[in-house]
Amino acid sequence: MRGQGQRSVRASRFSVPVVLLLGVALAVLRPASAQDATPAGGGERVEQIALVTPASRANQGWDQQAVDNLSAVSEERGVDVLVADNAGYEDITPTLRDFAEQGADLIVCHASGYQTVCPEFAEEEGVRVAVIENPDAATPGLVADIETQAQEAAYLAGVLAGRTTASGTVGIVASGQPPTWNYMSVGFAEGLKAARTDAKLLYAVIGEAAYEDAAGAKRETEAQLAAGADIVFGMGDGASFGMIDAIEEHNAELEEGAAPALFIDVIGDKREEHGDVLLTSVLFDYTGVYGQLLDDIEAGAFGRVHTMNVANGGVRLLDLPENVPPDVVAAVEQARQGVVAGDIEVSAIGDADGLRRRLDELLQGS
Amino acid sequence: MSGIDWAAVLTVLLRGAVVAAVTLTLAALGEAVAERAGLLNLGIEGMMLGGAFSAVDAAARTGSVAAGVLAGILAGLAMGVLFGCLTVSLGADQVVVGLAITIFAAGLTGFLARDLYDGHAATGADLPDFAIPLVSRIPVVGPALFDQNLLVYLTWVLVPVFAFVLGRTRFGLGVRAVGEHPFAADAAGVDVARVRYAAIATGGAMAGFAGAFLCLGDLSFFEPGVTVGQGFIALALAMLGRWSPYRIAAGALVFGLLRALKTGLPIAGVDIQPDFLTMVPYLGILVALVVLAGRTALPAALGVPYARGRR
Repeated sequence: MRGQGQRSVRASRFSVPVVLLLGVALAVLRPASAQDATPAGGGERVEQIALVTPASRANQGWDQQAVDNLSAVSEERGVDVLVADNAGYEDITPTLRDFAEQGADLIVCHASGYQTVCPEFAEEEGVRVAVIENPDAATPGLVADIETQAQEAAYLAGVLAGRTTASGTVGIVASGQPPTWNYMSVGFAEGLKAARTDAKLLYAVIGEAAYEDAAGAKRETEAQLAAGADIVFGMGDGASFGMIDAIEEHNAELEEGAAPALFIDVIGDKREEHGDVLLTSVLFDYTGVYGQLLDDIEAGAFGRVHTMNVANGGVRLLDLPENVPPDVVAAVEQARQGVVAGDIEVSAIGDADGLRRRLDELLQGS
Repeated sequence: MSGIDWAAVLTVLLRGAVVAAVTLTLAALGEAVAERAGLLNLGIEGMMLGGAFSAVDAAARTGSVAAGVLAGILAGLAMGVLFGCLTVSLGADQVVVGLAITIFAAGLTGFLARDLYDGHAATGADLPDFAIPLVSRIPVVGPALFDQNLLVYLTWVLVPVFAFVLGRTRFGLGVRAVGEHPFAADAAGVDVARVRYAAIATGGAMAGFAGAFLCLGDLSFFEPGVTVGQGFIALALAMLGRWSPYRIAAGALVFGLLRALKTGLPIAGVDIQPDFLTMVPYLGILVALVVLAGRTALPAALGVPYARGRR
């Protein structure tokens, strides 16, 4: 230890002139360094990126996934992150203004409910924003759009459900009817019907933006289970835990040997806590899109529409449990290849009326 | 839809309606006492959240649902006393204080849930159902009403207890007196501040109990915002029920049944827009408000701070 101390004393004698020299060098070179920071593409270096989400960053769903993914990208790219969660669906302009004043180079507005306010703010204040499910708002240099059209991955989940259900009845429980949920409901229903034409599908909406209504989710799920559903595809954020609660209680009361009901989740991975009921999850991975947004800013090409799909890995199914039969795994993989190759086209329907019409078409006779 | 076991579906729907009604009844009973004493408690939603989180936290730490329920009640009671300090002792505006408590509790419970439980606090404790012999075997109604957990039965016991206390006891008379005419009550020797403190403490404790029931008797976890505005529905129910515990319980049950109807219609294949179905229970409340408009006389001193010698 003593030797180390001596070394550090010696080092400190040299360090003073070295630091002075480095300081002078940095001062001289600073303008050049700043010039170097400008990316070769003619854009600008991103220093800070902001994210606003409607609900808690810890809901193991839509909001948490965005926060986690953006944090991962920012860490990799050395970019600072500002997060405002629980912003709700009211006017978020004060939050956006606060971000702008803090110098955010980009604000990601992570809710389809922010489709209007964020582009308006971008236009008024000249701040770059990224919005969800509003391709018409894409504006070069100002507004980028992220299409979280997970219908393709939901289609695969539907195929899995169709090949797995023993009762032939499958449920969908949604905590609202935002475009993202609607895309997935249609995709799931089409996959289910493709895998099993005689399957019955129950569809329930908990409420208007009932993303945290776990008790309401539990009521809807209990009713579907009582009506014979043995697989429930749940889109809920916090409400998803109510669905899982219902399924776990339902399974606990089953007679010995009866097949347990299963849950298909969206966005995140709940295997650690609820692996006993989780069949799979339609995973959202925003890291690729967030990386593209930064690339676009640096290349001077910001302001286009980014789509997350099965082919680019933006959406995919969580690895299936080991007890899923090989022929079912093969059927899902075959469907995935068909989607990637373009042989299977999944409807992209984001509006509630369109969803209703499509479900009516698919469910005629069931 | 063919092939559906309708008895099973109806049982589940009715059972769900009862469970939903319990949460509302507990909170609304407490609100009725507070309002009868002249205190408009808009902090009820926050008190429910505080009770819900405290209940789950205590149950998770001790493994005991009873400890969880007690913690939930105590948390609500503490928030009720805080409301009392600010409004009864300091004369602050009840609406502002109530909303502040709700916003504060939403933030605090969200922060604690995130910090201590990564956003989702599971209890790990189970509250078993208790089937009442014979009646629990009645088809549909039996399992829905008489095969529930003890907190559900306790709630139905509390309804006549509250009716008795409010209508037939000296304390109840004092509560009504300070809510209608605190000056006269004071002149008659009633300690207005003490009665109002007792009333809001009861209101807070019941809101905490409601939150505890939601997260221990219905669900088995807490998550931020889990009460989703049920406190405000309870507040409306207390007024709709004109502070009568029996009418409050009936109103809560009707609300639960309307929600069950909303759940059941799509399963029955009735083709109605989900948006409309979602609206049905709240439409029921609006209709009741319209029907009862003019017949619901608020306590005369509701929302009015009392200071001896100052009118």
